[in-house]
Amino acid sequence: MDIEIIVFLGGFLLLMSLGYFVGGVRERSHLRELEEREHAMSGILLSQRKNFPDAIPGRLPAKMLVAEVVISSDYLKTFLGGLRNIFGGELRSFRSLIDRARREAILRIQEQAQKEGYDAVCNIRLDTVDIGGADSRRKSQVIMSAMIVSGTAYQTQSR
Amino acid sequence: MIVVNTETIPGYRILEVKGIVQGNTVRAKHAGRDIAAGLKNLVGGELTGYTELLTESRRQAMERMLAQAQQLSANAVVNVRFTTSSVTPGASEMYAYGTAVIVAPEM
Repeated sequence: MDIEIIVFLGGFLLLMSLGYFVGGVRERSHLRELEEREHAMSGILLSQRKNFPDAIPGRLPAKMLVAEVVISSDYLKTFLGGLRNIFGGELRSFRSLIDRARREAILRIQEQAQKEGYDAVCNIRLDTVDIGGADSRRKSQVIMSAMIVSGTAYQTQSR
Repeated sequence: MIVVNTETIPGYRILEVKGIVQGNTVRAKHAGRDIAAGLKNLVGGELTGYTELLTESRRQAMERMLAQAQQLSANAVVNVRFTTSSVTPGASEMYAYGTAVIVAPEM
């Protein structure tokens, strides 16, 4: 009887610490990496306008770029999210999850643009995606943030 | 074929609008990916299996859209958008649509 409780608590603590340590380290290293890459990509002009600011036509035709990212939650985040569900309020752990997915997707667009010789991307559109179908019947659902980002790459005068 | 998600293309003039073109695909994620994703769900990080799934279905939807545009003998598709919708638990639809047009370079 006591053993069962210990095993249950032990398993729970193991998963929590797995989320806290491994998940935390992975998140921090991802955030660091994002910052570095964002700095490296600062030359690629991003805008949300539809009319190609500073475009020079003719050289390379504009091209739509698309990027997808799916980032998973960790055990600790999911648990904290479950707690917040009882009391209500802002789910800070999930906010950073979704933020990372967005930044990663935008970076992939910028990197793709640079690789293909463009130096600006306009009309950036961010959308969340439904992957598994709304899977509310199953308890063991994977908590994740899925993004699809599209934008049109073109060349500007600065190049 | 020029594909953009804006309404115009810099350096080109739209001569003729051919109409809306669309492509879709419904894809299920498979059990192997689910298991990997379930494990990743404990430690966090990118779910590359699902990212690939999204990329594949987006490519297929776009291919079907471009095939329609070709049939209309268009040479560009403007204002392309994507949407997803859930079909059954475990599968979702990726839908791409845009407007097929005929463009010519501006002199």
